Amino acid sequence: MIGVGKIKQYSNVLDKPLSKGKQEVSLSAFSFLFSELVQYNQTQVDNIAELERRLEDAGYSVGARVLELLCHREKGNRRETRLLGILSFVHSTVWKVLFGKVADSLEKGTEHEDEYMISEKELLVNRFISIPKDMGTFNCGAFVAGIVRGVLDSAGFPAVVTAHFVPVEGQQRPRTTILIKFAEEVLRREARLG
Amino acid sequence: MIVCVAVVGHQNNPLYIQSFTEADDALKLHHIVHCSLDVIDERVNNPKKSGPLLNETFLGLLYPTENYKVYGYLTNTKVKFILVTTDLDVKDADVRNFFRRFHAAYGDAVSNPFHVPGKKITSRTFAESVSTIVKAFGLSSAG
Repeated sequence: MIGVGKIKQYSNVLDKPLSKGKQEVSLSAFSFLFSELVQYNQTQVDNIAELERRLEDAGYSVGARVLELLCHREKGNRRETRLLGILSFVHSTVWKVLFGKVADSLEKGTEHEDEYMISEKELLVNRFISIPKDMGTFNCGAFVAGIVRGVLDSAGFPAVVTAHFVPVEGQQRPRTTILIKFAEEVLRREARLG
Repeated sequence: MIVCVAVVGHQNNPLYIQSFTEADDALKLHHIVHCSLDVIDERVNNPKKSGPLLNETFLGLLYPTENYKVYGYLTNTKVKFILVTTDLDVKDADVRNFFRRFHAAYGDAVSNPFHVPGKKITSRTFAESVSTIVKAFGLSSAG
């Protein structure tokens, strides 16, 4: 029969069924808010490093609260005590709640034992941002780095987290990598747990 | 009958203590809560292989004193919830349910942008929702 199996397209937004509160926020609203956040901080500081630190601090408070909320909402949640456990938690669960999809990849650094990298082809927060040439290597992904640092810190894994652009051949826009460097005590505890 | 609930931060600093009895023994309740922190630390740092999993959030009955029972709950951020009750026949499921609702109220209180993590929780909404949950617990276990 004709028409059977076609997905119902709602031409009018008023016809869409009410969502059951799936915690979705419109991308444009968030982008406006984020651009205002960056602009406001830009007027308050004198140099790039300070701006990056402020964005990271803003992300830190978000991260701490996200962990508390996720811990409660996740069914069958277990407290993460192992390094790989908390990293995969950040990489899949936190990313899914914040950005609607899991992060692109999680890698272990080759040079140092305590470095891990989460990379993403295009960070959601950077989608509508282009950095002017005179700002050098500044990356608004510092906000996301702050979120990751907040989550790790509140879970008991102190770390230094930064965001970097990594140019990829064949792509116009560089890939973004979040570099996580764990503190000494985390590695010692991990070694002790075996 | 729930006597007291407490929220203790990850550095064992008290964030919220509320007692629900008319008697003026707040100090004794503080002392009981303080002792139970030691029991929690012991449970978390020395896991018994046959005991509950190391990373379970609900810690169960911590220790029974003269006429009180103390239950504990540990969240992902090392924040501890302590429940002191005088009931003798509380069901495990009731306590778990209580902690689940308490955790929800705590999550709402922490999401407040004006709340500084590590400082005491001063939100009135949190205090009201806690008393509601405590009343509901009293009714459900009595029935």
